[in-house]
Amino acid sequence: MIRGKLLAGAVLAVLLAAALYLANRYWIAPLATRQAKASSDHPQAPDFTLTDLSGNTVKLAEYRGKVILLDFWATWCGPCRIEIPGFVQLQNRYRDQGFVVIGISMDDGPEPVREFYNEYRMNYTVVMGNDTIGELFGGILGLPTSLLIGRDGRIYAKHVGAAPLSVFEGEIKKLLASEGTGEVADFKPSGRSAPDEKIEVGEPAEINSEVPGVNLSKLSAAQKDQFKKVLEGQPCTCGCKFSLLKCRLDDRSCGVSRKLAREQLDKFLKSPV
Amino acid sequence: MRTQSLVDDQGGLSARLSLILTAFILAWLAGGICLGQGSTGVVEARVVTVTEAAHPGTRVKVAVVAEIAPGFHINDHKPTLDYLIPTELKLEPTRELSVEKVVYPKGELKKFEFSDQGLSVYQDKAVVGALLKLAAGVPPGEYTIKGKLAYQACNEHACLPPTSVPLSITVKVVPRGVTLKRVHTDVFDKIQFD
Repeated sequence: MIRGKLLAGAVLAVLLAAALYLANRYWIAPLATRQAKASSDHPQAPDFTLTDLSGNTVKLAEYRGKVILLDFWATWCGPCRIEIPGFVQLQNRYRDQGFVVIGISMDDGPEPVREFYNEYRMNYTVVMGNDTIGELFGGILGLPTSLLIGRDGRIYAKHVGAAPLSVFEGEIKKLLASEGTGEVADFKPSGRSAPDEKIEVGEPAEINSEVPGVNLSKLSAAQKDQFKKVLEGQPCTCGCKFSLLKCRLDDRSCGVSRKLAREQLDKFLKSPV
Repeated sequence: MRTQSLVDDQGGLSARLSLILTAFILAWLAGGICLGQGSTGVVEARVVTVTEAAHPGTRVKVAVVAEIAPGFHINDHKPTLDYLIPTELKLEPTRELSVEKVVYPKGELKKFEFSDQGLSVYQDKAVVGALLKLAAGVPPGEYTIKGKLAYQACNEHACLPPTSVPLSITVKVVPRGVTLKRVHTDVFDKIQFD
């Protein structure tokens, strides 16, 4: 009798364990994988405070809980201009569902932007950007660059170059449909952005570095000077004809010098002068 | 004895069950734990002079040959639309070398996805001419004028921020009696200085 009960218990335990294993393998683990992947592939959008065309302060964190289309653009950029009427439509169509467009103008001053804003009857907030804000979002190498931020504050898509309205609309709908924490674990960007392309954000240690874009926090003051000398002695291959150091200092947006300077730092850390 | 045996059996069974369960739980946990996981450069420019050297008090033709990366274009000096940033050669005159004229090539009319109308742009190569004047009485030697070629590049889908290529134009001055040899005729034949 006891033996029977024990056997039944053992069978139940094995079944329970098997069920646990199967549930983990086919349900929990893939979900956790997707969540882990979502967290790593979709970094938190860094907060910023910028000024809009009327001089008001705009803080990204205040839009938390909304789906945000963050559009880096400029009035001198043809591909940027053709996207604007579509963004005006999207703002009208999805505003009530918790969607908002924020334009970050990379123009030198607000005057042409104000003119454009009125001419194109823009219906969303436009702030004046700068190189630092570009770096904060992983470097804006071409305009337009549009980022889609979910309700959870994560960046789900980054489109470099003009994309069709349907691409944005599809992604916005997907992000608006998210519930709970707002995380969209199985989000796949469409359009021109490569699905496997990793979305990166800049680190304050890189942005505020003496060599912009390169994290020097592991170096002592003396080592920083030595490292800068190393960069001074290396040519930048981007075509600027400057040293790596000068290119980094003069053209923060140059992806070539940033990559080369980071490689030099790796070398330097392995065998400091 | 029987009871003891049962207890033994029970204990062995429990131990085996615990082992199996632990193994499954470890596998599960392990599964869970293991889950975590510029615009510069588009244009390259070089400077050439019409002769290897020049005489004091004369005009010197120079050309900036800009090679534009494949797939990109830069705007005409006189862009089709007023919002476009023009290509511009900016030179800083010196006491010995002044700038009399800058001659831009005519752009090529191209249609892009982002514009309803064709845009006048430079693609592949653009040659900008500059007519410099050497001050009279400049002693033989080398004189440099600095400047930059400012441009803003785009491809079919995106644009890069405005930037410039730094330039350094060196003119070698020789006494009037020295014969000057014409060079780079292929470049200068295409520039309409007059």
